[in-house]
Amino acid sequence: MAEAELIPELMIKAMAKEIKNGDKVLHGLASPLPILAMLLAKFTHAPNSVFLSVAEGLDPDLGKVKLTISSADPRLLVGAIAFSELVDAFDLCQRKELDVVFLGGAQIDKYGNTNLSAIGEYHRPKVRLPGGAATAHITSIMPKIVIWATRQSKRVFVEKVDFKTGVGYLDGGDSREKAGAWPTILKVVTNLAVYGFDEKTRMMKVESIHLGITADMIRENTGFDIEIPPDVPTTEMPNEEELHTITKLDPDNIRYTEFR
Amino acid sequence: MKEKLIFKEEAIGLVKDGDLLTAGGVSFHRVPMELIREIIRQGKKDLRLVDREPAIGFDLLIGAGVASSVRFAMLGFELFGFALNFRKAAEAGNIEILEDTCGAVINGLRAAAMGIPFIPVGGIFGSDLLKIGIQQGNYKVTKDPFTGKDIVAVKAIEPDVALIHAQRADIYGNVQIWGGRFEDVWKAKAAKKVIVSVEEIVDHEAIRLEPYNTTLPYPYVEAVVHLPKGAYPASCYGVYDADYEHVREYIQAVKDNKFQEYLDNYVYGKAR
Repeated sequence: MAEAELIPELMIKAMAKEIKNGDKVLHGLASPLPILAMLLAKFTHAPNSVFLSVAEGLDPDLGKVKLTISSADPRLLVGAIAFSELVDAFDLCQRKELDVVFLGGAQIDKYGNTNLSAIGEYHRPKVRLPGGAATAHITSIMPKIVIWATRQSKRVFVEKVDFKTGVGYLDGGDSREKAGAWPTILKVVTNLAVYGFDEKTRMMKVESIHLGITADMIRENTGFDIEIPPDVPTTEMPNEEELHTITKLDPDNIRYTEFR
Repeated sequence: MKEKLIFKEEAIGLVKDGDLLTAGGVSFHRVPMELIREIIRQGKKDLRLVDREPAIGFDLLIGAGVASSVRFAMLGFELFGFALNFRKAAEAGNIEILEDTCGAVINGLRAAAMGIPFIPVGGIFGSDLLKIGIQQGNYKVTKDPFTGKDIVAVKAIEPDVALIHAQRADIYGNVQIWGGRFEDVWKAKAAKKVIVSVEEIVDHEAIRLEPYNTTLPYPYVEAVVHLPKGAYPASCYGVYDADYEHVREYIQAVKDNKFQEYLDNYVYGKAR
């Protein structure tokens, strides 16, 4: 199936679409898809979005940057307007001036809470994960969070995360706000579909399914009951120009690393 | 100003067993790797490590057994995978884990730089890390004295030592960092002792010609060490790229239970 080979590019486009023109957007370490989404957005519908990066280059030169295996590599700050310290982005966030952030999740539950800390019991873990970086701090206060996962399965999409590193909608309803976190819009983009959350219950639901993926494949790879509306659309495919842009930014195909 | 240029052996001699130690850079970039290797060569003990997003630098220290605790927001090798020595030590319970989040670590350092005992940080509410941070004695939920609203206070982080690698300095410790600074300036201002290694020692006059590039002037710096390629295998902006093949070799060595060989080759043996 030729379309399956385009899943990374399709995810990049879906993530780029979450960025509005003028948004201030941040990516962290180990983030090839977010970086490409942020750059693609600047090339296409959001030329005035602001690129804030763990590599610390603010708005690098789109024609000169190159993706490498580390998301803080200096090759990502070629032609930047400024070297902007990461903490500046957190300051912006606390001031409610950072608009979108892309974060990962080793486990993601039906309310969009994420675990990046430990699998199993926290103090005696089966797997000690690397940790959530900025996740615990900023998921609590960001107005928009986009979580990406390249290998959706029942081990990733779980009923309840073993440890809440990232703050989603907690136990649903208004529990997030009651816990003292600020309101947020949460999106999840995986290799199978794009997900949003019900406005009242705050349960995850399918927003669009990628070409070649079926509702059964989504259910087989989800560890909780998931709403799939009958009229759910197909995720928009990247066009030739967008594919060309992605290839040019990532000639070494770093974007495929997370899918192996 | 007095001359602060010394050899690495002498500089790392300033680090004491049990010190709270932070290191500059991030991930695989401008990390003071040669100063870190010298710490291992000198057989330091029970170091308490703290950094926002360390990778190979802290994993090397943990693998060599010189650390008793590690405070971090993320300690991994990005797309390469786990920081394996860290993961092994953590899962075996051989090291105290103080997990944190980026904004709290940086702001804790900022508080120490400002000479204040704690700093309020927006957010963290709803995360399980809040109770972990409280248990560890690093956070407290307190009231904003002006509005009465709950807010998380992060205790100031005052490292005993900050190790930093930079592009250049003069012999007096006027340091110029180019490219991403990360929170190196905050770390230096927060720490009791700052040891800087540099690619190049330049004339004092060269510093005065570019004062806008002097990131860390001499009052903050205890010692300067001349170590070309001192960040290797991490990158040093404007001087060299990271050696990702070396990173792969490192990971393979840990996987194959040949970490001691790695240490013999790259730390004890051919001292770079």
